[in-house]
Amino acid sequence: MILYDYILSPDCYKIRLLAALTGQRLTLQAVDYHPGGEHRSAAFRMLNPAGTIPVLQDGALILTESAAILTYVAAMSGPDWLGEDSPQMRGQVAQWLAFAHRLSASIGKARSHDMLQQPADINACRRAGVACLQELESALTEQRLMGFGYLAGARPTLADIACFPHAMLAPDGGISTDPYPAIRLWTRSLRALPGFIEMPGIHRLHELKPEPIGTAGQD
Amino acid sequence: MTAAWTPVALARDLPRLGVMPVCVDGIDVALWRSASGRLAAWADRCPHRGMRLSHGFVRGEALSCIYHGWSYGASGSCLRIPAHPDLEPPEAIRVPVHRATENNGVIWVALGDQDNTPPALTGLVPLRSVTVQARAEVIRSASGLAIGADGIARGHLASIAVAVLMQALPEGATVLHVLAEPADPAALIAASRAVEALRRAAESKGAA
Amino acid sequence: MSGDPILDEWYPVALVSQLGPLGRDTRLLGQPIRVYWGTDHQPQVSDANGRALPVTCRYGHVWTCPGTPSRPLFDIPEADQPGRRLVDVGVVRVKCSPLRAVENFLDIAHFPFVHTDILGAEPHTEVGRYDVQIRDEVDEVWATKVQFYQPQAAKSAAGGITTEYMYRVPAPTVAVLYKTCPPRPGEWDVITLFVQPLEQDLCEVWPWMALFDDTTSLTDLIHFQQTIFVQDRSILENQLPRLLPLDPGMEIPTRADMTSIAYRRWLKRRGYSFGAQLVAA
Repeated sequence: MILYDYILSPDCYKIRLLAALTGQRLTLQAVDYHPGGEHRSAAFRMLNPAGTIPVLQDGALILTESAAILTYVAAMSGPDWLGEDSPQMRGQVAQWLAFAHRLSASIGKARSHDMLQQPADINACRRAGVACLQELESALTEQRLMGFGYLAGARPTLADIACFPHAMLAPDGGISTDPYPAIRLWTRSLRALPGFIEMPGIHRLHELKPEPIGTAGQD
Repeated sequence: MTAAWTPVALARDLPRLGVMPVCVDGIDVALWRSASGRLAAWADRCPHRGMRLSHGFVRGEALSCIYHGWSYGASGSCLRIPAHPDLEPPEAIRVPVHRATENNGVIWVALGDQDNTPPALTGLVPLRSVTVQARAEVIRSASGLAIGADGIARGHLASIAVAVLMQALPEGATVLHVLAEPADPAALIAASRAVEALRRAAESKGAA
Repeated sequence: MSGDPILDEWYPVALVSQLGPLGRDTRLLGQPIRVYWGTDHQPQVSDANGRALPVTCRYGHVWTCPGTPSRPLFDIPEADQPGRRLVDVGVVRVKCSPLRAVENFLDIAHFPFVHTDILGAEPHTEVGRYDVQIRDEVDEVWATKVQFYQPQAAKSAAGGITTEYMYRVPAPTVAVLYKTCPPRPGEWDVITLFVQPLEQDLCEVWPWMALFDDTTSLTDLIHFQQTIFVQDRSILENQLPRLLPLDPGMEIPTRADMTSIAYRRWLKRRGYSFGAQLVAA
C-alpha cells in the first residue's frame, strides 16, 4: 500500500495516523509539495488528475479522496474504525467524514496560507474555520452529555481521525482553539491512544511518560 | 487589597493532568490540575524563555514547560532543569502564582489576596462553557436572564433552569459558564443548543 | 553609506529556483519590496519607490540589502565543496520575531521536548559544557564542542548517536549549523537558517542545507528539515514577549543558554534592534 505523502499535510497525516493505529503498513512516497509543487506536475497528474494529496495506491486501486482512503485502510486493517455498530453510528461517521472537507477548506487553507504562503481569502477562511470549530465543540458537548467521549459514540472511529488533525492544527492558521474545552479534552484523549503518532505541529504528550529518575547518563 | 473572583472554567473541563489557558482581568493564566487533583493558576509564561506554560505538561504534582521541560512545583518554584539534571534550581526561578479555588463545579481565580469564597451555586450541574464575541451587557439583554443579588444571571434556556457566570475577555468577548438544573441528557442537549442560539443572537446584536 | 546597522545587512528574500516569471512581492523590515527577473535574466530587487537594491545570489537564495552593504555576504566555503548536495528547503512563515527564530535554532536543550525521538529524547536531556566566543576578527558568534545524544540525528542516521555541533551566527538573521555527518566521519554537514524579517514580529524562514548524503531522496531531505522547523513553529508563536529581550531581567538563562547569551550581547553591541526589545517591559 503506497501513500503519496507530504509530511506537513494534515490530510496525509490522518492516513498515516489511522495506519499507525490499525497496524497497517504503508510505503510512504514523499511528494515535493512545497517548495517543489510536484503535485502539479504532469507525472503526478497521471496518478491523480486533480493534482491533490494524499493519494493511496494499492495494486490497481488508486484513491484520491482522504475520506475514501481512510475507509479503505480501516476496511483492510481495522474494521472497528469504520464505526458500523448501528445505522446511527454509520450515519454519524459519514457525517463527520463529509464535515472534514469543510475543515480542510477553511482551517486547512488558512494554515497553508499563513505557513506556506499559499493564496487564500484569509479572513473568509478563518471565519469559516471558527464556525466549524463551534459546530465541532457543540457536537462533542452533546456527546459528553450522553456519556460519549468521541464523535460517533463511546469509542473512536474514522469520524474522529478525519476531524482531529485540522482541529488540532487550527492555531497554525491563526485560529485559536483556546475557547473550546470539549475539543481540548477530545484531542487529548485521541493523542493518548495506544499507537498514536504525531505530525509537525502536534507535540508528544510527555505526561504519558514518567519523569526520568535521577541523572541522565549516557547509554 | 482584595481582588474579585473570576469564573474561568467548569471543573469538569479540567481533569487531572490537564492544563489550559484562561484569561483573568486581561492577564494570561495557565490553569492546571495535578495527579492528586490539586488545582493551580499561574502566570502563563515560563521564566526561562517566555514560552506559554499552558502548552506544557503535567507529571505528578509538577507543571513542565513544553519548550525545555523545566518543571515547577506547587509553590511555583522551579524543581528541575533537564539540561542540567544535577543542578538544584536557584530559588529565584519561580512562576507567579494566583489564587484558584473550586466551588460547586466551577473554577474561580483571583489575581490578588482573597479572604471570602466565590458565590455558591448548589443544586446545579455543569452544562458547558462558551465564548461569545460580545460584551456581557449585550449578552444579558439578548438572553432575557435576570441578574440576582449575587451578580449571577439566572433564568431558563429551553425550559431548563440555568445559572450563567460571565467572564470578560479582552477585546469585548465574554465566556459564559453555564450550569443547569439536573435533567435527562435530551433536556440538557436542548439547553446546550439554546446556549448556542444565545451566542448567535448576542453576536449578531453586537455586530449590528 | 546609510550607516544604519539594520539597513546595511544582507537578507534572503527568495529562492532562485522558485522565483517565477511573475516575480515575488514581499516585505523586508516593514517595507514592501519586489523580487523579479531582470532583462539580463538575473534576479533584481526594488523597493516601494522602484529604487534598485543591491542583489547577490548565493546558497540557492536571492539576497538583498536595503541600505549600503557594510561587508560582502558572509562566506560558507563548504557550499563549493565537491560531493555535497545543496538542498533548498523552501519557506515557512512564522508569526514571531526574526531574532527569536534564530535564537531557537541555536538552542539544543529543547530537542527532547520539541523534536522528541528525532533530535533528542528523555532521559538524554543533559547539555554539557561547550565553548562560545564572539570572534572579533570576523565579527561572528561561534559555539563549538556542543555535544548531544540524538535518536535520529539526520535522515541518513540509523539509530541514536552522540552528535557534535558547531554553531555560527555570521549575520543577525542568519545561523549556520555544522553537524556530525553520519555517512562521512570527519566532515561536517551544513544546515542553515536564513531568516527574512518581514516585520518586528513576523518572519519568513528559509532553511538551506549542504549535505553529504548520496542515498536519501531530495524530497525526503527537504521533508526531514521541514519537520524539524515546523515542530519549532508553535513554540516560536507562543513566546512572550514577542520581541527578543536583549537586556537581562526578563528571562533566566542557564549554562546551556551560553550561545543565546552571546547572540543577544552581540546584537546589542551592533545596535541591531529590529525584532528586539531593549528595556525590560
